[in-house]
Amino acid sequence: MTYDPRRALELLREGTRRRDTGFREGQEEAIRHVVEARGRLLVVQRTGWGKSFVYFIATRLLREAGAGPALLISPLLSLMRNQIAAAERMGIRAIRITSDNQDRWQDAEACLRRDEADILLISPERLGNDRFRTEVLAEVAERISLLVIDEAHCISDWGHDFRPHYRLIERIARTLPANLRLLATTATANDRVMGDLAAVLGPNLEVLRGGLGRPSLMLQTIRLPRQSQRLAWLAEQLPALPGHGIIYTLTVRDAVQVAEWLRSRELPVESYTGQTGDGREALEQLLLDNRVKALVATTALGMGFDKPDLGFVIHYQAPGSVVAYYQQVGRAGRALDRAYGVLLSGEEETDITDYFIAGAFPTRGEVRQVIDALDAAPDGLSIPNLLGRVNLSSGRIEKTMALLSLESPAPIAKQGTKWQLTAADLSSGFWERAERLTDLRHEEQRQMQEYVMLESGHMEFLIRALDGDPETVRPPNLPPLPTEVEPGLLQEAVTFLRRTGLPIKPRERWPAGGLPRCDVRGSISSEHRAEAGKALCIWGDAGWGGLVRRGKYRDGRFADDLVRACAALMAQWTPRPAPEWVTCIPSRRRPSLVPDFAERLATEMGLPFHRSLSKVEDRAEQKSMANSVQQARNVDGSLAVSQEPLPGGPVLLVDDMVDSRWTLTVAAWLLRSKGSGAVWPLALALTGHD
Amino acid sequence: MTFELSSNTQAILLLTAPLMAGRGKPSVKPLAAGEYRRLARRLREQQRQPADLLEPGAREIVSGCRVELDSERLAQLLGRGFLLAQAVERWRTRAIWVLSRADADYPRRLKQRLGEDAPPVLYGCGDAAIPGTGGLAVVGSRNVHEALIQYTEDVGRLAASAGRSLVSGGARGVDRAAMRGALDAGGRVAGVLADGLEKAAMLREHREALMERRLVLISPYDPAARFQVGHAMQRNKLIYALSDAALVVNSDYGKGGTWAGAVEQLGKLKLVPIHVRANGEVGKGLQGLLERGAKPWPEPETPEALEEILDAAADEGPGALGRQGLRPLFEQRD
Repeated sequence: MTYDPRRALELLREGTRRRDTGFREGQEEAIRHVVEARGRLLVVQRTGWGKSFVYFIATRLLREAGAGPALLISPLLSLMRNQIAAAERMGIRAIRITSDNQDRWQDAEACLRRDEADILLISPERLGNDRFRTEVLAEVAERISLLVIDEAHCISDWGHDFRPHYRLIERIARTLPANLRLLATTATANDRVMGDLAAVLGPNLEVLRGGLGRPSLMLQTIRLPRQSQRLAWLAEQLPALPGHGIIYTLTVRDAVQVAEWLRSRELPVESYTGQTGDGREALEQLLLDNRVKALVATTALGMGFDKPDLGFVIHYQAPGSVVAYYQQVGRAGRALDRAYGVLLSGEEETDITDYFIAGAFPTRGEVRQVIDALDAAPDGLSIPNLLGRVNLSSGRIEKTMALLSLESPAPIAKQGTKWQLTAADLSSGFWERAERLTDLRHEEQRQMQEYVMLESGHMEFLIRALDGDPETVRPPNLPPLPTEVEPGLLQEAVTFLRRTGLPIKPRERWPAGGLPRCDVRGSISSEHRAEAGKALCIWGDAGWGGLVRRGKYRDGRFADDLVRACAALMAQWTPRPAPEWVTCIPSRRRPSLVPDFAERLATEMGLPFHRSLSKVEDRAEQKSMANSVQQARNVDGSLAVSQEPLPGGPVLLVDDMVDSRWTLTVAAWLLRSKGSGAVWPLALALTGHD
Repeated sequence: MTFELSSNTQAILLLTAPLMAGRGKPSVKPLAAGEYRRLARRLREQQRQPADLLEPGAREIVSGCRVELDSERLAQLLGRGFLLAQAVERWRTRAIWVLSRADADYPRRLKQRLGEDAPPVLYGCGDAAIPGTGGLAVVGSRNVHEALIQYTEDVGRLAASAGRSLVSGGARGVDRAAMRGALDAGGRVAGVLADGLEKAAMLREHREALMERRLVLISPYDPAARFQVGHAMQRNKLIYALSDAALVVNSDYGKGGTWAGAVEQLGKLKLVPIHVRANGEVGKGLQGLLERGAKPWPEPETPEALEEILDAAADEGPGALGRQGLRPLFEQRD
């Protein structure tokens, strides 16, 4: 196919809406390479360089010459809105499928059948979805004229972010015949990543690679171990920072909490996480329009977000790798002369990144449980079936299934809705790779901590770590930010972190299959349900979490401060009808811990305390049960009412930790069945999963 | 078993395979056996191989071939690269491999005995070395009495204890009885399927034997292909070609796949000695085959006796005697 330079330039100008603009260095060469099918191409250019113009213009030229549509695979589609708008200005009909929404699938399929789409944009996970492949993609697979692999560094084990579905993309790239056009793009690829990409994409891979230096960034690291210190620092420094920016946190909970704190200080910020859902686009727009000072975001606000005049990127915790950090901080000051990139480092960050590292792969025990369960079920098991048979959380089960099914050959495969064993064993290579990657992640974490400790030479350190050219990068003329925290603000931050009262939503249905020992199933009538309860804190959080943990595992007694905090919480909460007496969840393992606390709380509140419930059978601790079905069965038949008749009237039901809520649900059901009034649950801490 | 594809295999799949990766209707028809045979011959005459059709100069090569094939159709077939990757991935997740005639692991017997008629690609699950081991082919119908099932299972067991492979068709009735007998006795089996490889590869009853490398399931048809009478006929030819000697357990007279396949062997192909069951009621079908030159099965009762029969058959040389002049289309180059 011949390349038409005049038409290409025309398209660029339509897309950019700038009549006098020309191609950036390398752009046109890349488009020509793709259109003329000269072989596979890898483009390594920073975000904002205009990689999307390469594939969109190439797509349009190919379509105008009668070729089939292009397929783009990217994990960041939700963030490509600006690029897609530019594509549409060039007359490109793009179909983007990011969700599991089946309605969209049907539209997409119909469009593809009528050949009305020029480019189909999908996530790697979609590509791994059997139904999507057979129902939508099959419609167009034989006519795809160009495959674009975005974030191609993920193909490499040495890539800094691990996305399991890139194993699938790697295999597809290896299987593609030489005559199919293939363009891979990424913003960062060190030498080891480049080596892997050359191995996967073939010896004749053409590479177009730009420089890494970012002269406008003023980089700084500040160590503030406690969250309260960092909150205070942010409250003080944020108003003085130039322009608008992003504050990155490692967890969703931190993003929400930091945003809440800053808003309580009347700073216009919003949180942005993977759980924000449909509101994400509107939040991005707020930042693009400078209507918030900052978005407090997890990495869900990712690489595709392009605001050239972003004044600062602050990290609330250090991310797990230097490359990830460079990509995030590199969003600041693209079109500015000066911008801040400040890394606040806290004591909890290593625990969090350790947790991410440890959770990236299933354990041998988890894999064994799943394989054994499938082995015992020749006709296969659905995910809900598995939940009843293995003691793993649904998240861990899904991760295990995804990783195993991405192996080649895979030990399991999905037929319809059910997973089955295949005629292949899991290769030892799976574990070798898991260990290698885990080691690599720890190495990256160590390198990140090295960066945290730097006094100077931040940019040089980053560029060297990325195998870039360590040319002398002069930082812009910006004063470093203060590293001290104002004591008054610090005290307020401590108080903020200890503010309390998280909701405990009552369960309304018994688990699938019911509870045979209690002889209950289906929905729980409102006369037998717990009311909406409260928890003082989240297990291990920066407010009361530490004190709860110490009480349970070190002192064997919950501190008086916690009694007062709960009493204060009750005074603030004022549930109606107000509880007239107090009882608690019994335990054989720690017979006095919770009753002692509940009794002191009852005294503080001036209410009578009764030990109305007893444990009739020892069971494993609820926290050792990994999913809701297992937890419900673990409670079934283990509790009984030991005092009859019960005092009438509403009751406050106290426990130390709430996980699945099944214990509370069963206890409330027992109390209500034996004649108590409304049951109000109160717990010291909420733990992890549901 | 490696799941990597050579460039030649990629090209042969693109040209000839339906690549069933979903419910999409193919918009272009893959080359039929005869069409591919002509194209392959022309390529060979030009000192070319299928992989060359994936290179930039493909169009010139095709026009140089002067085959009466629509060049647009060829371009469309060869443009199905992404679909190919999708299909291969689907097979791979089910532990299904694919070999083309250009691959070193493609069963030599098929090329030697069938020449240009050997299927361009073979899909399989399990140990790809089993089809090269010869052995006893057992064929018969789907609907048979329990007594014949017993008889056939015994034949399978005997092959296993003689250490010889058993080749059969994987269909209900006689095929599966023979395979079951051999597998249960710890033997080696090649099941040549006319359809449904994808499902068969996932069947639990096959899993242990597949993983112990005692079973291979192969098919010249797409793993997702459904049953077609024509496929079953073609498949019979492969069963005979992979064996040293064949036993027909029962057959209709003058109709049905078993009859037609055996008659084709006795008349035209003569790849292996054809025996018919001698014990019990033989019926009109087997009688008819005897009249067309089949031998009565000596009904061996010991492993040694069976080995003798198979060795004698192998020494007699494959019926490919008459077809030695045929060269395989492409030998692997690298």
